[in-house]
Amino acid sequence: MRRTWQGLKSDRFGMGGLLIVAVFGVVALCVWTGLLGQGWSEVSGERWEGASTAHWFGTNILGQDIFQRTLFGTATAIEVGLIVTFFSTLLGMVLGALGGWYSHSWPDEIILWIKGVLDSIPFYLFAAAIAFALQGIHWAMHLAMVLTFWTTTARIVRGEVMRIKEREFVDAARAIGLPGLTIVFRHVLPNTYHILLVQGTIVFVAAIKTEVILSFLGLGIQDGVSWGLMLAESSQEVLAGHFGNFMAASVFLFVLLMGFNLLADALQDAWDARRAIP
Amino acid sequence: MSRVALKVDKLSVWFGTTSARRQVVDNVSFRIGAGEAVGLVGESGCGKSATALAILGLLPTTTATVEADGVEINGRDIFSLSAAQRRRILGRDVAMVFQQPATALDPVFTLGQQIGAVYRRHTGISKKEVQLAMLGALEQVGFGRPEEIASAYPHQLSGGMQQLAMIAMATMCKPAVLIADEPTTALDNSTQAMIQHQLKRLQTDHNTAILLISHDLGVIRQSCREVMVMYCGRLVEKTDCDSLYAHPRHPYSAGLLSCIPQISATRPAGISAIPGQVPPATELPPGCHFAPRCNRAESQCRQSIPVLDTGLDRDVACFRQL
Amino acid sequence: MPTENIKAGPPLLEVRELSLSFHDPGKTGAAPAAQRLAIDRISFSITAGSTLGLVGASGAGKSSIARAIMRLVKPDAGEILFNGDNILDMAPGELKAIRRRVQLVFQNPSASLSPRRSVAQTLLEPLEHFAMGDAHYRHERVEQTLQTVGLGAEVLQRFPHQFSSGQQQRIAIARALVTDPDLLIADEAVSSLDVSVQAQILQLIQSLQQRHGIAFLFISHDLAVIRQIADQVAVMYGGQILENSPADHFFSRPAHPYSQALLAFAGQQSIAQPVERQLRLIRGRDSSHHTPACVYADGCADRMAVCQSTEPGIHQINYKNRNMTGQHCVKCHLYGSGKTHDS
Repeated sequence: MRRTWQGLKSDRFGMGGLLIVAVFGVVALCVWTGLLGQGWSEVSGERWEGASTAHWFGTNILGQDIFQRTLFGTATAIEVGLIVTFFSTLLGMVLGALGGWYSHSWPDEIILWIKGVLDSIPFYLFAAAIAFALQGIHWAMHLAMVLTFWTTTARIVRGEVMRIKEREFVDAARAIGLPGLTIVFRHVLPNTYHILLVQGTIVFVAAIKTEVILSFLGLGIQDGVSWGLMLAESSQEVLAGHFGNFMAASVFLFVLLMGFNLLADALQDAWDARRAIP
Repeated sequence: MSRVALKVDKLSVWFGTTSARRQVVDNVSFRIGAGEAVGLVGESGCGKSATALAILGLLPTTTATVEADGVEINGRDIFSLSAAQRRRILGRDVAMVFQQPATALDPVFTLGQQIGAVYRRHTGISKKEVQLAMLGALEQVGFGRPEEIASAYPHQLSGGMQQLAMIAMATMCKPAVLIADEPTTALDNSTQAMIQHQLKRLQTDHNTAILLISHDLGVIRQSCREVMVMYCGRLVEKTDCDSLYAHPRHPYSAGLLSCIPQISATRPAGISAIPGQVPPATELPPGCHFAPRCNRAESQCRQSIPVLDTGLDRDVACFRQL
Repeated sequence: MPTENIKAGPPLLEVRELSLSFHDPGKTGAAPAAQRLAIDRISFSITAGSTLGLVGASGAGKSSIARAIMRLVKPDAGEILFNGDNILDMAPGELKAIRRRVQLVFQNPSASLSPRRSVAQTLLEPLEHFAMGDAHYRHERVEQTLQTVGLGAEVLQRFPHQFSSGQQQRIAIARALVTDPDLLIADEAVSSLDVSVQAQILQLIQSLQQRHGIAFLFISHDLAVIRQIADQVAVMYGGQILENSPADHFFSRPAHPYSQALLAFAGQQSIAQPVERQLRLIRGRDSSHHTPACVYADGCADRMAVCQSTEPGIHQINYKNRNMTGQHCVKCHLYGSGKTHDS
């Protein structure tokens, strides 16, 4: 772990990415603790005011402060990213490990079947169905994503576990009689963490982007504001020549995703560099 | 004295970036004549593989620094050539056989496809002729049914067979120099013998010069007339095999020889080994690198570096020769 | 010296008529899977404190025995008796007690250690699994074991990749020793080590034999290595054991033609070209086809007509010289009906 960190430190782009993500994280924290962005729903100005000292990004069609809304949207984005990443990775890791360890026997067949079914359902239909069924619950959108994103992680983990379980240290563990599940979670899975880390960053990005689209469809966040929602709102505003909403949401979204991508690439490089010592 | 096929002058290699460099090969010089086989022996981590990779230009330029007064293949100094010219000469005149054939072979192509591809690139003859030549090479190497081997994928063959196929690949182009890096490690005795037999054939039939790298003096003795002993990047003794076996002069050579298990009439009471272990390249002891493990070391050994002294029958780098 | 060390008594490990077939199509797709046996009715025994060297060409057979004994793979037939009890019939509870006493050391030390577990975790794991002692005892035991294999306590917090292969193998041996086993199975444990590191590990094994009285099943393709540490030698070919002899007998007067060819070949020192015929004699075979013939008949220099039609029985060799102790068995038609073997 330490060597990965050292490898990362030497990568300027990677550190830049980390910085960006850290800043956004801090902002999100401040919103959650009530320090920033609390005026996102307040009507504090005239409709479509331009940028000014009172409203840094101007106001939207309802007179709400765009800057406040952007900050709150940061928190929403981070929340979606973290929740979806954590739970889908957890689910994918467990089911992938079980499938890989018991490969070609019934637990694996069942998990593969479930994966197949979920992968066949068009995502947005699925999300719509869940959002409808769980109307009013804040976590509907997150749930929809977790239930579909885990399959990719599971597939990767399954492949890795199938490969790793052929190695001698697994035989050594079996030779002393350790139960299969203990071996999987104690010895095999830890060797997939680096892959999970990179995959996790990909899921994070995907979750945020998916939220944007869901908001466009009206299936996104219901009791708050997100960049997706702002972009959805701005589709009308832009026609009337007001770019405040659009610019704020797009730029923030772009910067965060860019930062995350840089970080993910750098992590992958640092991991590879760690292994490729002549 | 036959023509010199491979000549290396003061080759040095460093690994790492400029801020944290460590030297893994230290001023190594030697020459191999056409048709001769020379062994390079030393423990893991002593720099022998790095030497071979440096000669072939296979070290990554970002993390390795290579310097030499000259490296000549058949009289041409390849270090002074452009990268493309160098690649061409190396590809045509120098072949390398690696330690683990499984990693050197591409798992998604059959052996026939891989061997054929190498041959075609260097001779440009028709596919059919390549096929014939390839089957011939496989047969010569000892495969009774070469067509089966040619249509097999690497994972379907045992380690020994993969290695023999690699040698077939290397010999097809009749290289001037063959570098074999631990070709027989972890293979059993009969496969080892077959590989050694092939190396011998290359020398006699095609006048190939062979650099055989191994940690096992026994293996080198069976194939080479001359041997160079390497420790922590430096050559410590250079002589012919028989002399080394009969009277090793450097304490490390003597130690290595004593480690080779023998089949004796009675079971040996004790097993001899060299105490301690090879220091990592980042923590090389000052003076003679072997001093901490040497039972003949004196203060001079820890303070100054012994140079390779050309003697009557051999070169030795030691202040306290046996 | 070695013959006196062999304690008389019931064997610690006894293998009877063990058979195991290949489960995959095999390397070069020769015979169909069902007929190819990796192990063909193998029998041998190891007494407490003694070392059996199992030698043969590289192939699945020797390792399969090790895996069958550790119950990593299920044999098709036969019995494996530990102190008289058949471990193949045991319930998981009883088996656990046995597992503590038989441990395995693998060929490739870096592959056999769990890469994400520290040395401390790796060494404590067997102690925790077998619920041996309390935390204090376990830490003491780990430190003691490290000392036995020649490593210091500073290795405890490090990870396998930070060590050389010699040190890694010492750690693997420590893991095997930590439960105080009676029998260690070393499956080509020194084959991938440098000759100098190999010598150090052999020294360690010798001290484990002499000072701790641990029995070994030492599997190797290298006769010279086996000479250093074996009390008894068994030769495998084509999945069968062709000769089983006390070490001194084996190395001075091998009985089976295959053993003779192996020894002659191993004794070669010089640059002379290996003779084709010699190669053919010792070329390994990794499976038995279970046909009624001697499995070595094709390669044997002393082949007779009967060798190709009838499988030889296992004959005991009697010695004129009564001072030679230990059993010497050979599976060969040359030794039928109690012929004596000069010694």
